[in-house]
Amino acid sequence: MNNNDKYDLSFTKTFGIIKQKLPELKYRDIKEWDSVGHMNLISTIEEKFDIQMQIDDIIDFSSFKKGKTILKRYKVKIK
Amino acid sequence: MPKKISLDTNDILNSQQNKFPLMFLDKINFVNPGKNLEAIKNFSYNEWFFPAHFTGEPNVPGFIQIECLAQAFIMTFLCKKEFKNKKTNFYNISDAKFRKKIIPGDVLKIKASLKSLSRGIAQGYAEGSVDGEFACSGKFIVTIPSVFEKFIPNSSKK
Repeated sequence: MNNNDKYDLSFTKTFGIIKQKLPELKYRDIKEWDSVGHMNLISTIEEKFDIQMQIDDIIDFSSFKKGKTILKRYKVKIK
Repeated sequence: MPKKISLDTNDILNSQQNKFPLMFLDKINFVNPGKNLEAIKNFSYNEWFFPAHFTGEPNVPGFIQIECLAQAFIMTFLCKKEFKNKKTNFYNISDAKFRKKIIPGDVLKIKASLKSLSRGIAQGYAEGSVDGEFACSGKFIVTIPSVFEKFIPNSSKK
């Protein structure tokens, strides 16, 4: 499984949504991505990529797209 | 090996924000802070809810049993210095089970364990028994808003 698949799966598994909805997905767009859903998502991503995210990055992680940029700081490349 | 400690009523009152008539723990027999504990709640007929639930057949309402379990659960971490007396909110209760009628004179013994506590979200399990017989249980997710809110997009001031 490549990084793109892992990243997508983090969202689809945490929120129970289909992959097609991911590109434009933002925090609070769906009821599942609420404050606790956010923490579950971050935990899942940290586990999948074996990283520990900083507080500022967790707060900035406000969309599917933004998350890809943030993960680059942890040397996780996602197209 | 961490030292096991016990907490009396005043210790509990000083560690969490539930007060009369909604404080439902009498004593914590032992606690391994951040891990697990064993607590007790004594039910006498003087409890405010017995006359109403039910006349002629007093027994502990299910929501009170859940509250007992939840209060025991939150004490697994509120007994730690960094979380002492912080407010907590329910987020999720699942697999709630009620298997025994709890009546005046019963002592509910509660075993609670903390599965994880990360960024203000605590997850765990609590189970109550009376005279060694299973009475009730539930899985809990509880948030600590003052910790949790620091990590939410667009809600934190940098």
